[in-house]
Amino acid sequence: MTGPSDSELIAAVLAGDIDSFSGLVRRYQDTCVRFAVRMLGSRVDADDALQSAFMRAFRNLRNCREPERFGGWLYQIVINECKTYATRQRRRELRFTPATNVIERAVAPGSEPEGDTDVGGHIEYALGMLPAEQREAFLLKHVEELTYDEMSAMTGVSVPALKMRVKRACDGLRDLLEGVYHA
Amino acid sequence: MPENYDEKAMDKDAQFAERVAGPLRAAEHVHPSFEKRVMEKVYAEGPLLYPATVSRPSWWRRERVFRISPLAGLALAAGIGTIIVLSGVALGSRLSTRPTAAAQTASAPRADTVQLVRFVFVEPSAASVELVGDFNEWTRGTTRLQRSGAPGVWVASVPLSPGRHEYAFIINGSRWVADPLAVKSTDDFGTESSVIRVGAAVSTT
Repeated sequence: MTGPSDSELIAAVLAGDIDSFSGLVRRYQDTCVRFAVRMLGSRVDADDALQSAFMRAFRNLRNCREPERFGGWLYQIVINECKTYATRQRRRELRFTPATNVIERAVAPGSEPEGDTDVGGHIEYALGMLPAEQREAFLLKHVEELTYDEMSAMTGVSVPALKMRVKRACDGLRDLLEGVYHA
Repeated sequence: MPENYDEKAMDKDAQFAERVAGPLRAAEHVHPSFEKRVMEKVYAEGPLLYPATVSRPSWWRRERVFRISPLAGLALAAGIGTIIVLSGVALGSRLSTRPTAAAQTASAPRADTVQLVRFVFVEPSAASVELVGDFNEWTRGTTRLQRSGAPGVWVASVPLSPGRHEYAFIINGSRWVADPLAVKSTDDFGTESSVIRVGAAVSTT
């Protein structure tokens, strides 16, 4: 980490130098965006959720009890914000065609669907088919590569429950992607 | 966890998860405008949440909401004029105000005496006029000018310590106006404010 530490930036903001918050935004925006994009399946929604998360962090900066661990604190906020957005966002128009195990996206002819990303499309669509809590658990475990203890600390969900969610996510993805991966 | 979810099954899951997760681990980046958009919101709320303890808060240095469109000439053409009226030399003394021109000279006060400076701003169409400056830490809502008896004339008296002060007016809560009759000071971002010197003589030039 170069430049002022998180603690120093936070202390500056609390003292009225709100410009310093931009240092925290720059430092963590890309760290958080991957989870948000994968969780919400839409860059637009991810952008909105991240903005909300950063603003929640800004408004509650006095409550960040361990400024030196701002990153983890912010990540918790991002997870919660994405959960909120996931429940609010309209369900993406996806449909699963069992006959061919091909995941298709139902869009109006000629329209460009929202949420295109660069990662393998099938995987993302399959991920979007999972219940939000399974999707979240899978992403935190296998994409963000957190330990179950870290996941539990961030989500407030017990380790056994998280393991179950990850397993069910794997089962669901395996079914959905059978035709893609021959899993 | 199912009883038959043994280590072999876990390994199988882990292998499958690894294949699926690989592409999902590709880096993502926020839109280039993300920081700017977040900071716009931060600047809008920040001064209220975290009042500045420095002489000039950062929202003033960065925020562009209050950019002046018409500067001195246009302001004058629109009927805006500002006069600084100097009071009696010591705060609490009997006020005997008199209007000043650009180079106001007062009777010589003691150098360590706070002086009551009366700011007058003329703008008939204004619904509100605020004064911000280094003396109130550029904090909006701190010093509101009041309507005087004359139509369109707004006034406020502010105790100022001797020395150089910078200030500006905010009209209707959004329009930043430097004093058209005073010396200008421009910050790094091109925003103009005005200068008043309080001391042995009070001057806006």
